[in-house]
Amino acid sequence: MIVTHELRKTFPGQRKLFRPAGPATHAVDGLSLSIPPGAVTGLLGLNGAGKTTTIKVLATLLRPTSGSVTVDGLDVVGHARAIRRRINLIAGGERMVYARLTGRENLWYFGQLYDVPRAVLAKRIDELLELVGLTDAAGTVVERYSRGMRQRLSIARGLINAPAYLLLDEPTLGLDAPIARDLRAVVANLARDGVGVLLTSHYLAEVEQLCGHVYVVDRGRLVAEGSPTALTAGTRLPHTVELTLAEHAPAVSAAVAALGAEFEVGVDAEERPTFVLRSPEDLTGELATAVVRAGGAIVRLEVNPPTLEDAILAMAGAPAAVAAR
Amino acid sequence: MATALPTLRRNWLVTMRAYQWTYFVGTLATGILTVGLAYLAYHAIGGGRAGGGFAAAAGTADYLGYVTVGAAASMFTVRMVLWVAKAQITEQREGTLESQVLAPARRLPYLVGVGLQALTTTVVEVVVMLTFAIMIGVRLPAPDPLTLLAAFVAASVAVFGISVPLSAVMISVGEAHITQNTLFVAMGLLCGFTFPPAYLPDPLRWLGEALPVTSALRALRAATLEHAPLSIAAPDLLLCLALGLAYLVVGLRLLGPAERIAIQRGGSA
Repeated sequence: MIVTHELRKTFPGQRKLFRPAGPATHAVDGLSLSIPPGAVTGLLGLNGAGKTTTIKVLATLLRPTSGSVTVDGLDVVGHARAIRRRINLIAGGERMVYARLTGRENLWYFGQLYDVPRAVLAKRIDELLELVGLTDAAGTVVERYSRGMRQRLSIARGLINAPAYLLLDEPTLGLDAPIARDLRAVVANLARDGVGVLLTSHYLAEVEQLCGHVYVVDRGRLVAEGSPTALTAGTRLPHTVELTLAEHAPAVSAAVAALGAEFEVGVDAEERPTFVLRSPEDLTGELATAVVRAGGAIVRLEVNPPTLEDAILAMAGAPAAVAAR
Repeated sequence: MATALPTLRRNWLVTMRAYQWTYFVGTLATGILTVGLAYLAYHAIGGGRAGGGFAAAAGTADYLGYVTVGAAASMFTVRMVLWVAKAQITEQREGTLESQVLAPARRLPYLVGVGLQALTTTVVEVVVMLTFAIMIGVRLPAPDPLTLLAAFVAASVAVFGISVPLSAVMISVGEAHITQNTLFVAMGLLCGFTFPPAYLPDPLRWLGEALPVTSALRALRAATLEHAPLSIAAPDLLLCLALGLAYLVVGLRLLGPAERIAIQRGGSA
């Protein structure tokens, strides 16, 4: 398991000639989290929340200013080399591979850096190229790849050492929808096979689909944690129900008001009456029943429950920590 | 060697794809021009004779031989420094530094692989330059093979050694040109590539002795121009090796922190 305890990473202020140094940046500020094997854990936050810095510390690329990070009991500072054999990092964008090598040569070279045995490496390269759909382009120099192809190669590179823990920093950034879907399937399979995955992504539907547990950080601090469902419910954001009637029914407004929830009345483009109801609970059933009993004929009913994205935005704006568990 | 040889292969593949053959004309021109201009000056200005103090200062009266060995050493030094010292900052610029640092491979064999590529490239260039020198009439006596081999190994360690801390400086400050050119100017002035350091004021001579290339050049010239046995060149060889290894150890200690500074500068959130 990867465990961080009170992790802090502070970047000193930049010094300029004849000017005092700027203020220090506390990119990660007392973060404690656990990434178990065999599960996908999410790390969410707005830009500047400290996600990438956290991942770089976990990946041994940066050292913590204070606090501890261990991977299967090994400290990231004292045992960086041993940890590097167990982990890998896939970052979004098309970099992290050599532009003037072919896809196969890139994977071969990184396999050498990870000291993957020759017999294993040849088979693994073929499997990974097939996994990311680059078998036909394996002999093409990467600088001729499209952005999506480079990103797919970068994903294959991240799997070359069969890592026990995989750190994914916006892995589907720039990928076409079918490839992104395939990658999500790969990540889910890896977790099923026992790999511990930490995922950051701006595509929150991806996080909701893959992650059993999510940490939400804001300005380097943990503001919430829990399952995506629990996080969304914990913010008590309103469910929105939009309802359109075939024609005006005088008793409907009173029936809707009797539900005790905030609502708006309007008309749509065809001059039909509309109701928008907002409530912390899902009142769809009660609303539909009340409207029908009041003589209303429903022609359209749309239910919009709060999403994880709504919850993250709410948490980022909230001054106090939100406990979702 | 598990990392060195793959890195050597990778660098060759990249070099062959990145540069046209005309790229090598520029690198060859430096050595050829150095020898050619020295030849012209020696005959057109010096009338085919070196100045009176040259033999005492240089340890040989063969000015053209002195310059030819210096030019070959200069080509080797510049090539090695350019490849080894710039290896990490090139990774940084191409966006591969993080994926390379992320791997458990050690830095020393990685840099040795880069150095081996520089070495193989330079051998070809030096052979072409020496052929040119011989064609224009430079006469190089048969060297002492053992001393030459030892001097070549010591010079390789020395130049590789000074390249490693330079690599750390380059990636920590995020700049290569000023750093490398400062070193090239300092070495050109202090180490005795084209004129004997004995002509320099004492403080500059002492400074030159702190660079292992100075003693490497003395050993190379002793082997090639004076047919000196290993015992005569041994003090310079030992000094050169000791200094080169000292720079190497310091450089390897600096590389880790320098890499973290470079990665940190790449993004703070």
